[in-house]
Amino acid sequence: MLAAVMLYPLGYALYLSLLNYDLGTGTRDFIGLGNYTALLSDARFWDTLNRTVFIVLAAVGLEFSLGLLIAYGLYRLTFGVRTLNLLLFIPNIITPVVAALFLRWIFMGRWGLLASTLIGLGIFPPDFLGNPTWARVVVVLADAWQFTPFMILVLYAGLNTVDLSQIEAAQIDGAGVWTLLFRIMLPSIRPLIVFVLAIRLMDAFRFFDQIYVLTSGGPGTATETITLYTYALAFRLLQVGKASALGVLTLLFVAALTALMIRVVYRRERGAF
Amino acid sequence: MRRARTQIPLFLLLAGFTAVTLIPVVWTFLTSLKQPVDAFAIPPRLIFTPTFEFHAEVWIEKQFWRYLINSVVIAVCTVVISVSIGTMAAYGLSRLRGTATRGLLFSLLAMRMFPHILLAIPFFLLAKSLGLVNTYPAMILALVAINQPFTIWLMRSFFVDVPTELYEAAALDGCNAWQVFSRVALPVVRPGLWVTALFSLLLAYNEFLLALVLTGPDTKTLPVAIAEYGGEDINYWSLSAAAAIGIMLPIVVFMMALQRHLVRGLAFGAIKG
Repeated sequence: MLAAVMLYPLGYALYLSLLNYDLGTGTRDFIGLGNYTALLSDARFWDTLNRTVFIVLAAVGLEFSLGLLIAYGLYRLTFGVRTLNLLLFIPNIITPVVAALFLRWIFMGRWGLLASTLIGLGIFPPDFLGNPTWARVVVVLADAWQFTPFMILVLYAGLNTVDLSQIEAAQIDGAGVWTLLFRIMLPSIRPLIVFVLAIRLMDAFRFFDQIYVLTSGGPGTATETITLYTYALAFRLLQVGKASALGVLTLLFVAALTALMIRVVYRRERGAF
Repeated sequence: MRRARTQIPLFLLLAGFTAVTLIPVVWTFLTSLKQPVDAFAIPPRLIFTPTFEFHAEVWIEKQFWRYLINSVVIAVCTVVISVSIGTMAAYGLSRLRGTATRGLLFSLLAMRMFPHILLAIPFFLLAKSLGLVNTYPAMILALVAINQPFTIWLMRSFFVDVPTELYEAAALDGCNAWQVFSRVALPVVRPGLWVTALFSLLLAYNEFLLALVLTGPDTKTLPVAIAEYGGEDINYWSLSAAAAIGIMLPIVVFMMALQRHLVRGLAFGAIKG
């Protein structure tokens, strides 16, 4: 019964993906897998997929490394941790659209805080949102700004669950700060790490709000991710069938990616999940 | 004092990082208090005469209070419906064992990775065919659907902690199945109920993609309103900054109040499974 709430729309989406359904002209024909073959041979689809994978990996990679460093720093810190934790967490809970606006006002060409500060210093800044390379960097930074706090929070909680006697034993053996982190602590919170990475990958892959507000996929298609492309297909070009097919492909891709990740990590220790 | 020598730089480093991540928020707040003359100064101006006129203007004259009402109605209805369904389903699942239950739980988790855009298309077509676009029920039902897996998982993690002996004792005392649920289980998990409600509220309040597709002029929520508004005209900077700050405030206050429960909600199931 419960599953039906979700399965019905999914089934409907699958059905739609087999149609040549155009809301604009009202066409509605059954074309089987036509949408899929059209997409798979479409260069724009592959470009978008590559771009999405790049943005997602860069963002999640940055979030994880930064998040781990900060979390470990907080773990070693003996005072002020609660306050810092609370302040660090603020970006994560802000409505994504609003967060994107905040960042727009930082990175906007000429009048944004960053550009105008640079001009004040006598440096002529690039147009951060108008230049394809910079726009991608900004999109990655925006995702990192909002979701590094999530990593910090979860990893910090994880580090605190590590058995203290193990840590003390390692310290007696003369393990340094970094050996302790990489040899003792990380291996013991590995399930948590896989989990949090998987969650972030899934979420980053379908993320829409920030990019929509920051660049709408522009300039050109420099920051157009799969989700933005699907949105444009469905609600701008009104090609509902093709858009559904693209959505299904995205789902399959993300599912495969997650399954692969879990497999690779748990090849030796099955059943840990 | 070796300790002080490492602790203080560490604290300063972390505090510095925190400060940098909060720049966008502070900057927007300052912008919202600026007259255009100050907002467009190059280099950026830190000293100016603050004014709250834009905060008043955006909420009253620009009628953002309407969108606030829409947001609140939609969020509250979503929370009430999805938490009550979620609680009952989670209770059921927590008391059942076996492969079917496991399967159901995993499929719920899998639903978390659905690209929302894939669901937005069928939701939109369904709402259109039922004449529900631009009504509250369409948006509320869609939010309940995407929120359900989360509420079930989170509530289940609280029910699982309840010792079975408690139920057995209640049954012995002559409670029927419904009474065991309402008189025994519910009071025990009350804190969990609040956490789940809070996270559902956050999700409903922040949601953008579905709101963009399913709401119209009468039911527009705050994120949609600000996205339409903030992106457009640079002259409205102070106004949209004021709106952005206003939208952010309630969430930050909520989260500050309930920070103890953050980890559990965000990393749901990560440690407990």
